[in-house]
Amino acid sequence: MNSYLSTVFSKVGSLLATLLVISLIIFSLVELMPGDVAQMILGQSATEDSLRELRQARGLDDPFFTRYGRWIAGVVRGDLGDSIYMQGVPISSILWRKVGHSLFLALTAFIIFVPVSIVLGVIAGVKEKKAADSIISFTGLATMALPEFVSGVILISIFAVRLKWLPIVSVIPIGQTLFQNLDILVLPALSITFVMFGYVSRMQRSSMIIVMNSDYIKAARLKGLPERYIIFRHALRNALLPTITIIGMNMGWLFGGLIVVETLFGFPGMGSLLMTAIKTRDVPLIEACVLLITVIFALSTMTTDLLYGYLNPRIRFKGGQR
Amino acid sequence: MKKIAVLLVVALLFTTLLFAGGAAEQESTKKSLRVATQVPGLITMGIWDGQAFALNASIYEYLIEIDANTGELVPVLATDWETEDGKTWIFNLRKGVTFHDGSAFTAEDVKYTIERTQDPEVGHLKKNDFAAVERVEIIDDYTIALHLEKALPTFIYLFTDYNMGILSSEYDYATKGEMNPMGTGPFILKEIIPKESAYLVKNESYWDPELPKVDELLLYFVGDIDASVSMLESGEVDIVPQISPIIKKRLDQQEGVTVVSPYQENRFIALVQDREPFNDNRVRLAFKYTMDPQVIARSVAQMELNEGVFYNESFILNEQAEYLDIPFRGRDIEKAKELLAEAGYPDGLSVDLYYASDHPYGKELSQTIKELSAEAGFELNLKGFTRDVYLSQYWLNVPMCITGWGARVDVSMLLSYAYHSEGPWNESHMNNPKVDELIDKIKAEVDYDTRLGYYHELQRIFFEEGTVINVQVPYLVALSDKVIDYRQPLTMLPQYKYTDIK
Repeated sequence: MNSYLSTVFSKVGSLLATLLVISLIIFSLVELMPGDVAQMILGQSATEDSLRELRQARGLDDPFFTRYGRWIAGVVRGDLGDSIYMQGVPISSILWRKVGHSLFLALTAFIIFVPVSIVLGVIAGVKEKKAADSIISFTGLATMALPEFVSGVILISIFAVRLKWLPIVSVIPIGQTLFQNLDILVLPALSITFVMFGYVSRMQRSSMIIVMNSDYIKAARLKGLPERYIIFRHALRNALLPTITIIGMNMGWLFGGLIVVETLFGFPGMGSLLMTAIKTRDVPLIEACVLLITVIFALSTMTTDLLYGYLNPRIRFKGGQR
Repeated sequence: MKKIAVLLVVALLFTTLLFAGGAAEQESTKKSLRVATQVPGLITMGIWDGQAFALNASIYEYLIEIDANTGELVPVLATDWETEDGKTWIFNLRKGVTFHDGSAFTAEDVKYTIERTQDPEVGHLKKNDFAAVERVEIIDDYTIALHLEKALPTFIYLFTDYNMGILSSEYDYATKGEMNPMGTGPFILKEIIPKESAYLVKNESYWDPELPKVDELLLYFVGDIDASVSMLESGEVDIVPQISPIIKKRLDQQEGVTVVSPYQENRFIALVQDREPFNDNRVRLAFKYTMDPQVIARSVAQMELNEGVFYNESFILNEQAEYLDIPFRGRDIEKAKELLAEAGYPDGLSVDLYYASDHPYGKELSQTIKELSAEAGFELNLKGFTRDVYLSQYWLNVPMCITGWGARVDVSMLLSYAYHSEGPWNESHMNNPKVDELIDKIKAEVDYDTRLGYYHELQRIFFEEGTVINVQVPYLVALSDKVIDYRQPLTMLPQYKYTDIK
């Protein structure tokens, strides 16, 4: 178990190193964006003098690495700085509420698409080249090929416009919370499910096919074990591993992909926040959002790695040693 | 396998619990006005442009406002005002008005608001205008005198500007202005969720007991205009400001929704006077001869000329009282080519046109004038940038540009910003002694008819040698039919206090 712990530590270490490098990249990229922060704050009528004063006061004239150091030191302390567009308003007071909403949306999507995709993937794999397989595979391919903004619009026109079961726009009414309005989650979560379903079910199907044709399954069959027992006790266990990798790898994408879905539905999450931040050139807010998405991406990748090790002893115990 | 089974069961249980709650419906008998806006928040006045600030109009209040129907001045926090020579202005202030924090509104607050315009740390947009105020004299708690450096007969109109809401002298706007804005207005901010929504309730101690007509004002900050319109269509909001003509066309077909245009906005096509090629008036004239206002109206806004879209070659809206109706010069490609040849461009010329691509009508207008002018040999290279980049990086320093300008109730305000040789926003670099002289005369002239004469003279000069083509486009607001009496005058400030809901 010690070696597993050391794996955990080394993974966390490399995660921190990755984040440091990425934070530097984010900071430099935002630096390249056109627009002058002082001009943004003071507006069109600002004089050269007042611009210079403000740049000095905010340290905008400092060398690149001084400013980067200041930013990253703030981030480590949990201070993400102040929004430019809303002067004097700390970013943390805007950001965390939206992050919570987005995580909740991602989670909802996750608990819809994971069981559905795995179950259907297993069925397709077991019934290879039968009608069920063709239907599931075709649906997977079709939904995967549709971008979220297309499937989203299709879902809106069916469930919100025609059937009027669900709201068109995922806005939380003033004075209420997300938990009082869970119906606004359904359509955004389904649009995400549409995209993820294809990837996951196809991966599950092909790994199921490989496993079902392997020698140990044949041996189990020859032993006369019931088919259901073979599928769920023997085959699925091994066939799940690649699927988990795919799910984990896509968690980061899922969070990034929320930008499109949230904007489409007007959902008050981090994706739509990032969109507004970019529209209003709110540099510190852009940096905070992008950094957070990176952290989530890195964390989900690391969790996948660790979970993979946990589920697959061959990785957990190097060379079989205890 | 067990582990996975456990994970799956937990996940499924969670889903079931999650959706078992269902949506809570809240019924209330309160009258509420719900607005979806693309503006991402409430903004402290002084430093931002008009539309961004428009929402605060409900929290703050002005000395005077403009009647949205007649265009006349209406007393608000000032009950009346007088001036004999245009140099000393005396305001009588409304008694018994309180700020939302309970403190009384007095002359001290007016003084603070005026003096704040000169604070270098604020970077106030009205700094230049109020620099003319030499001294603010508090006569008593409800009387204040402003002593100006020189006579300014239309000075009063400055107080209708969106940046001139009256602030409390005792409140810390620098740190609280964004999250807890506070004024004497008809609505009080109850809660704001940044970049999401704001909840305003009726000011029960508002000085006019009849107003506001609704109990609460709900503002949703929705970045996407299509999402805002969907909210209107599904009855989740009642008002969506700043929609595009394309959305208007769609909504025109729809029952229960009306699109109104409370006022017109200018789109100034600036032909910069000291840069090639427009430093030659013949080139400017040639360009004007290539224009076709009817085509512009149809392709920019899908509207007919003079029914929503207006056109002239000066600084003023066609609907304003000082406008002089000079007939359109007519489209004449041959004449344009001749003028270009005379100016030394027999084979045509190429020029960069800068504009804000994300501003309403920006893309359409630049495309249209490119096509129209191409026939005479103009080759416009379109340089579109997002509005903030355009304004901060290029504007004021390019040979040709298109900029959106809100009209001013007092036209002389706009003239001194944009067409005086020393104006801070003189985008076309107009430098014409005759124009400067007339602008100065307009600002100092007390007699209305004489002033009107100067305005007309100025427009004739603009027609002959001006640096601008002015395409006027409608500001469009979509309203649900439940909305009664929506008012928004030329100051761009919506007056929600008069609005009622069925």
